[in-house]
Amino acid sequence: MPTDDYEAEATELLETYDFLMKYIIIGEAGSGKSCLLHHFTHNSFKEHSQHTIGVEFSSRTVKLGEKRIKLQLWDTAGQERFRSVTRSYYRGAAGALLVYDITNRESFSNLSRWLADARALASPHLVVVLVGNKSDKDDEREVEWAEASRWAAENGVFSFLQGFPQASPFITDIHFLEASSLTGDNVEAPFLLAARSILLSIESGVLDPEKAGSGVSYGDRALRRVNSSSRLSFGSLSGRPRKGTIKLKAKGWIPGTNKCC
Amino acid sequence: MASPVVSPSSSTLHFNRNTQARATPSRNPVTLRLSKVLGTNLNDEATREALQTLSELYATPGGTSKGKETLHNGDDELGEEYAKPDETLTETVPGESAARARKNLRRDMEQKLAEGSQQFLKAFGEVDQKLEELQHHVNAMHASCDEAETHLKLTHESSTRLLERAGSLSEERQEVENKKTIVSLFLSRFTLNEEEVEALTSRDIPVGQRFFKAMDKTEQIRTDCRVLMAGEEEPTLAGVDIMASTSSYLEQGYEKIVRWCSYEVLQMGRDMQVEVGPTMREAVRRLRKRPELLTEALTSLSQTRQATIMSSFLTALTRGGPSGLPRPIELHAHDPMRYVGDMLAWVHQAIAAEREFLESLFSVQGDGRMVGSVRVFPEKSEEEDWIRELMDHAVGKLCVPLKVRVQQTIRSQESSIISYKIANLLQFYMITMRRTIGELAVMSTTLNEITDIAYKVFYDAIEAQGRALLRSTLDLDDSSLSPPLAILDHAQVLREIMNVYESSLLGDENEVEQAAGFQRILDVTVDPAIEMCSSSSEEKKRLRPRWDREVYVLNCLSYLQSVLEPFPFTVQKRKTLQEVVDEMVVHLTEEHYKNIMADAGIDEIAAICAKHDGSEPMSRIPATLPTQLQTALHNFSVWLSGLEVVQSQRLALLTAQRLHMQIHQAALRRMARSYQLICEQVKKPENRYEAAATLLGSERPFGQVNLLWQIFGLEGDV
Repeated sequence: MPTDDYEAEATELLETYDFLMKYIIIGEAGSGKSCLLHHFTHNSFKEHSQHTIGVEFSSRTVKLGEKRIKLQLWDTAGQERFRSVTRSYYRGAAGALLVYDITNRESFSNLSRWLADARALASPHLVVVLVGNKSDKDDEREVEWAEASRWAAENGVFSFLQGFPQASPFITDIHFLEASSLTGDNVEAPFLLAARSILLSIESGVLDPEKAGSGVSYGDRALRRVNSSSRLSFGSLSGRPRKGTIKLKAKGWIPGTNKCC
Repeated sequence: MASPVVSPSSSTLHFNRNTQARATPSRNPVTLRLSKVLGTNLNDEATREALQTLSELYATPGGTSKGKETLHNGDDELGEEYAKPDETLTETVPGESAARARKNLRRDMEQKLAEGSQQFLKAFGEVDQKLEELQHHVNAMHASCDEAETHLKLTHESSTRLLERAGSLSEERQEVENKKTIVSLFLSRFTLNEEEVEALTSRDIPVGQRFFKAMDKTEQIRTDCRVLMAGEEEPTLAGVDIMASTSSYLEQGYEKIVRWCSYEVLQMGRDMQVEVGPTMREAVRRLRKRPELLTEALTSLSQTRQATIMSSFLTALTRGGPSGLPRPIELHAHDPMRYVGDMLAWVHQAIAAEREFLESLFSVQGDGRMVGSVRVFPEKSEEEDWIRELMDHAVGKLCVPLKVRVQQTIRSQESSIISYKIANLLQFYMITMRRTIGELAVMSTTLNEITDIAYKVFYDAIEAQGRALLRSTLDLDDSSLSPPLAILDHAQVLREIMNVYESSLLGDENEVEQAAGFQRILDVTVDPAIEMCSSSSEEKKRLRPRWDREVYVLNCLSYLQSVLEPFPFTVQKRKTLQEVVDEMVVHLTEEHYKNIMADAGIDEIAAICAKHDGSEPMSRIPATLPTQLQTALHNFSVWLSGLEVVQSQRLALLTAQRLHMQIHQAALRRMARSYQLICEQVKKPENRYEAAATLLGSERPFGQVNLLWQIFGLEGDV
């Protein structure tokens, strides 16, 4: 019956989201970017994956605490010849997954180049997560976990907020983890990690989803909440009680007056 | 009973006195009687009562009249009579009353009885009278009863009718109730209640679940009604009415949806990234039954989206992200690849987001396909058509600013390599867009146009370059035989273009496609180069006859070959080039042969030998007189000892060592054959050489062709 159909559709309300974030996935050719993404979006390993041509797109909605976040994912070709094309997609990304292959040292050695590109072309608030892919092939490992972890720690850079009078420095940490797009091990973690960092950036006022080009925007759900309470709360994320958060935020959100720490 | 009792008692009294007189009892009846009387127990209750009664009766002293009076009065004043006997008893003689009483007892009794009877009679007379009255009453009552009964009968009759009536009425009522239930069921099934009508028509009720339920109901009514009406020969009035009213409500409902959609669309369309709520999705789903209304709603949507995307694009171009980061795209206008690439990538991303938006608007489940990878359009679904059209509208307007900027960039390029890169980039996006939004989309056709323009600019550039190459002249004072700078530059450009092309290949093209994609460029670039090599060198040759044009041309051509060599898609052009080279090689071989024959001094003799027709013995021909022949053979022998045999000085200037060997050996081969011919002619008797063998054997190679082959280091081919 049509009425029932409608009821069924009404439950689809779950599909709405609070935030929409743009990610870009970069790294050397053959490091398994497309497979990682495929596993993330399809929950299965992509057999016989070909080299990506140019840039491909997919999306998925994830849940982080109480927040539903829609991720728009741009999977780029790692091949050198597509560099000129893929470079244009850094613009407006809020998060980047920097992928290398743990069984291929070269893919690790070239990370600096990729990171430099990302820092130069993307927004300064770009959240980068380093992913050592193919962790299932431990026998063929060429890059040690510790080494990559150190690299990530060393390459978290200071940048300066532009447009804020006091130009307070902030650190964009590079999170690091190893994953396997074959077994699905840790496949979701990098995406969630990045989302979490971005949410924290929004919470701290560094990122404003209202502004175009930030790579983040509010979803319908968040907007509705904004309208009702006039202030977003991040209680679930920061672990503080909701009511208190709203009050705190109201103070903290005025640009230039906060920065308690 | 009173009398027998009275008698014994009075006799007893008598007897008591008698017995005392006789004093002797005897056995006689009197004795018996006496003893019996004496033995009588007067204490008997009944007896005492009887006596009492008697005494009361006779209590009054005096005469009968007195007694009579007393008795008569006794009824009136009983108490007075009881008091009197006590006084008289004392006054009169005892027994006097008793005697009188004994005498009158019967009479008194009878009198008393008569009196009593009289009284009875009197009383009964009254009773009778009463009874008669009663009888009257009873009769009256009877009559009344009859009357009542008649009434009752009548009443019963009428009430029976009433009951019947009531029964039928209640049946009717039941029937009506049933009808009512049916009608109300019918109405509730086939008409909208007030709330529903309100939901459909009122502006106060938001479009939402309640509204949609009312819509569903209306639809359901219409469907049911149609089913019902289908069974009738003529449509009933009710059916027609229902259809008419529901139709009007339905239309109002749809209009309400449209109004709501238009409003919502205005609200939502302003953000670049938008999300479609379930209500909106449901609204669109319903409107699809009314394509014209859907068109109306979607038209406003597409206009809003168009404006939104357009302004976002312009913001990205000129203002960049928040606080200018990422930087505006136009900031990189000096870097054409980045500028064009950024713009196209922006459009691509906008399309992807728009696609998601539209998919959710039409509740199309994303097929999990990666945007950018090949989109298959298997079924021509209605949603896909809508999505395509809306997408086309939404991004179509970007075409103008995009086109203007790209065109400007293309036209301002001086380097053909950059032009080519831009053209390639445009082509890449053109293919991507075609796969994403279809070939017919405005954006696709625009990209197609821009790509064509870019290619045209590029071809114009390389054609101009080719023409310039053709016009260029060689430095007359330069004696070197290596390719000139113009060719080197040209080849460098070509090499880069080939690199770009190679990297633009997707890897799924076959060889023919690969070659076809580059043929024109090769034609435009390589042909003028070949042309230039030969034509300009001819000019130089004319002015500088000693300048070795052939070697120079071959050098240039082999350079071009080496440039093309690494790229598989140049096979065809290399073949053409090879043909030119081969031609040149033949030419050079001929020349070289002539040169070495002349150097060796046997050219004239060889020529005569070749032409000799046998009309005259050769020994008679001045040029081939034995002495001349001797000299020539000597010279040849000397030449054979020289370095020239191993390598030609002239050919050493060829950059391609392979060609040097090839030409030189070909010439030597011919030389050997010519020597062989000379030997044969000399040995012929009709040429009348004396001691021909000696003549030939005097000098190396002593008339032995095989030896000559060995000297040349060649395999004999004869």
